[in-house]
Amino acid sequence: MSRRQVKGDYIETETGNKVSRKANLLGTQNMVLGGKVVIQPEVMIRGDLVRTAPSSSSSGGTTAPSTTAIQTGRYCFFSKGVVLRPPGRRYKGQFSHMPMRIGHHVFIGQDTVVQAATIGDHVRIGKNCVIGEFAIIKECVEVLDGAVVPPNMVIPNYSIVAGQPARVVGEVPEGGGPEENGLRGLYSTVGNNPQNPDM
Amino acid sequence: MASSPPYTYIQCPCSNEEPAEGSDASSPESDSFHDAERTFDPRAPRSNYSLYPLEYLLYCEECQQIRCPRCVDEEIVTYYCPNCLFEVASSNLRSDGNRCTRNCYQCPICSGPVQVGEVQAEPETNLLSADNATAAPHGPYALFCQYCSWVSSEIGLEFERASGIPSQLAKMKNGGIPRITAKELKERRKEDPDMPPLEDELVDAELQYSALRSFYQSQINGPSNGLPGGLSLGDGHNFSSPAALTRMMSMWQPGGRGAQGKTAGPPDVFPEATDTDKGLKLAQLDESAKVQKLLNGGWNETVSKDQLLGQLEHAHFQDELRPLQCVLRTKRSRRCAVCRHIISKPENKVASTRFKIKLVAKSYIPSISIRPLEPRAPPVPVGMRPQQPQEPPLKPLQPYQYILTFKNPLFEKLKVTLATPNNTPGRFSSKVALLCPQFDIDPVKDMWEDALDGDDRSRTEETGQAEAGKIYKRGRNWVSIILEVIPPLLSVDSLRPHTASGEPTDRSPLREDEKILEIPMFVRMEWEPEAQHDVGDRVGKDRNEGQKRELAYWCVLGVGQISHE
Repeated sequence: MSRRQVKGDYIETETGNKVSRKANLLGTQNMVLGGKVVIQPEVMIRGDLVRTAPSSSSSGGTTAPSTTAIQTGRYCFFSKGVVLRPPGRRYKGQFSHMPMRIGHHVFIGQDTVVQAATIGDHVRIGKNCVIGEFAIIKECVEVLDGAVVPPNMVIPNYSIVAGQPARVVGEVPEGGGPEENGLRGLYSTVGNNPQNPDM
Repeated sequence: MASSPPYTYIQCPCSNEEPAEGSDASSPESDSFHDAERTFDPRAPRSNYSLYPLEYLLYCEECQQIRCPRCVDEEIVTYYCPNCLFEVASSNLRSDGNRCTRNCYQCPICSGPVQVGEVQAEPETNLLSADNATAAPHGPYALFCQYCSWVSSEIGLEFERASGIPSQLAKMKNGGIPRITAKELKERRKEDPDMPPLEDELVDAELQYSALRSFYQSQINGPSNGLPGGLSLGDGHNFSSPAALTRMMSMWQPGGRGAQGKTAGPPDVFPEATDTDKGLKLAQLDESAKVQKLLNGGWNETVSKDQLLGQLEHAHFQDELRPLQCVLRTKRSRRCAVCRHIISKPENKVASTRFKIKLVAKSYIPSISIRPLEPRAPPVPVGMRPQQPQEPPLKPLQPYQYILTFKNPLFEKLKVTLATPNNTPGRFSSKVALLCPQFDIDPVKDMWEDALDGDDRSRTEETGQAEAGKIYKRGRNWVSIILEVIPPLLSVDSLRPHTASGEPTDRSPLREDEKILEIPMFVRMEWEPEAQHDVGDRVGKDRNEGQKRELAYWCVLGVGQISHE
């Protein structure tokens, strides 16, 4: 087999990440993908917006600032057109971006812009949402389609939020908990040898 | 909960139970008998309140019955603030109310969260309140909303310190005018007994309430010392205790002690508050200033209903709104309303997502999924996944076939019997046929066990095509069968003039929900709990060993839209 035939639409890494060749990743050296992560076409991840201010925890100041801009857990799914952008603010007089942390089993719907500080495990974000800067989304949260989460908002566990600005509109039922949100199945339906999503 | 087809909703049997029947109705036998007599109509007005997606349902092991959010009782486990995620002790709740007393505020205009920031600084440079401590201290501070760019200095609220906003806010009215609290008023009165009463404009609802409260308290306290039965009415909390209640009851009995003591008790008629100190506040009938403001500012200056709902005091204009303290949230456990057993209990800690007890229906009854046998929508390209393919509307009077897949969550073999009406209820009824209404589903096994068993699953009854009486496909713990549907012609003219019972047909125009093809289906499942595999049947182990268990319920399959031209 020649090399050209092997080349598919996706780059599949050793840890099982499937990254579309049409995705727009900037600053890949500053990204950590947790394994089995799917990045669909036209996704933009701004790994180049790395933290410039020294971390408040490092007392010496001589240590190099941590260079991870975006970190994700296992089985994350970023649909077509998603933008992940680390949030930034003035800190001690100078502007700096802050790292963005995304947990395991996180799904982000089409054309959603995420500037959150933290997204917990098993979070599901719908399509056409805006997650404001430094928002903190805890675990098992569901953000419905079209929601605009204001900057700095904290969303507690098991909330369903919707609206512009987003408010808590309900609670995720016990049966809809973290065990299964279908992302394992979804993972197998994309890539170079995708399975039929039906079964 | 609403979703587009295909979907499956399950009916909770609690809506069928007659209140008088009590525990009798909750046993599965009588329920299935009860239900078998009539067809469940998914479009009936009451059905809206009893249909739930599988995830919303719980299961009570004692009653062996499905429980929906309507037939469980809730108990609060933990109170916490949704913004700062601090747990609030229930004792604090009594003194501080059900709002967060930290710096957690919401924008009165848009309900977004607000941050404390310095007023002089640019809006983008707001620091979180935590970081303000490390930054060089400046002032004054204000609350900033980053969603709608509202700043509390717009309504004259500025703070000296970045922390302790609630106590600073309590002393300030909108516009920065210091608020006179009841305590201050008392002290002022002490210093200057001849001070005239406050102007009515200065008396806000809180001050008025405390004045009224102390006024009536003194009236009750005054002559009540000689009250019989040792009942002191002075302390309002006493009324809630059952002992006080019985004493009060005895007071009102004819000829009881109450009759003699009545003269010494509090007067029957209380005098009303007659001046400001006693809590009287005259209504402001002169509204010319408000009318003028409305003329100048227009509609945009007035408050919306949503904004008003969050406020403690009534407001007409946006500049009268106060920043909202975050309302606390709760974690709750659920009990079965019939047998009082706990069926869901989250861990106490706010950050924890785990449950101590969680009996969800998903792990007891099979999940049902629907998909067309021959999809008419083009497959979704890989790059666009997971978009759902949108099936075009169903053409009337044409047969369609769907695959129903049942997945067994139990560790026992499940025997399933299905039933659907041949014609769905309603004015326009579709013809429905289940090609294989009776089948067994193999239990959940782990991979290891499955590998040891070898591949003996290829049974003869599995056909892979639509054939009457045969299973379509079978997997480790799932079975697929075929459902055949013929949608009706959605036209009022085509209706027969009379129904079967001789009544004239309803000829009103087509209603919205008649376009959706919904099929009621009765599911009856039977299984034998095994002692060794008892994961969900701790209770049934001793009593029901070797016994068959059964559960029966209605569900609704939302198949698709019917086109009408």
